[in-house]
Amino acid sequence: MLTYSEKKFPKKINSLDAIFDFVEDFIADNQHLRMDSNAINFAVEEIFTNLVKYNTESKRDILIELEIIDSDLVTSLTDFNVSKFDITEVDEVDTTLGVEERKVGGLGLHLVNKFVDKLEYEYKNSNSKITLLKHLEKANV
Amino acid sequence: MFDIRINAEGNVELEGRFDASNADIAKELFDKIEKSCIVDFKHLKYISSAGLGELLSAQKRLMAKGETLKLINMSDHIRDVFNYAGFHRVFEM
Repeated sequence: MLTYSEKKFPKKINSLDAIFDFVEDFIADNQHLRMDSNAINFAVEEIFTNLVKYNTESKRDILIELEIIDSDLVTSLTDFNVSKFDITEVDEVDTTLGVEERKVGGLGLHLVNKFVDKLEYEYKNSNSKITLLKHLEKANV
Repeated sequence: MFDIRINAEGNVELEGRFDASNADIAKELFDKIEKSCIVDFKHLKYISSAGLGELLSAQKRLMAKGETLKLINMSDHIRDVFNYAGFHRVFEM
């Protein structure tokens, strides 16, 4: 059982496969807890791709940390040497619109909020840190 | 792993993980579709907002000329993603 794991990933979209492997390995190490890998991968992908697309001023690797604290999975992504961009302040999308009115894009953060219990942003020493918290249940294993 | 193909009936089959790293591959195939067709999710395990974006683009283009995509065989997780996105208003599924 590993309750903390961290790894840095190149700031590129093609890092996603390695990120999914990292998340799946952590989940496999904690089978005593019920973790929805699709939901966790989804949240991590959306935040990671957001940093790749919009925080382009730094090419430094992004640090991903996974930690079990009590009955929560705490996932954080740290983007180093970038300007402040608080993703929690992004405008909500209108999901009631029909196909003609819909714009492509902007759904990622809306959906992340559906799959995690808390989303936090911290900016310190030119580093952006986004933390996702998800409550877990014990698995019947 | 991700795969997208058009089957013998002219419908689209998705397989594996439809994420931001393979959205371009999907776009290339969706851009070739000119008529209404079914998109089969039976072998799709995962989709992110990048995948939703490609499907929405294709649906907007097709509906503008009276055609449509119908989505079938979604897993519970993928159906949740579509419902949270409000895409049950955009697609027959």
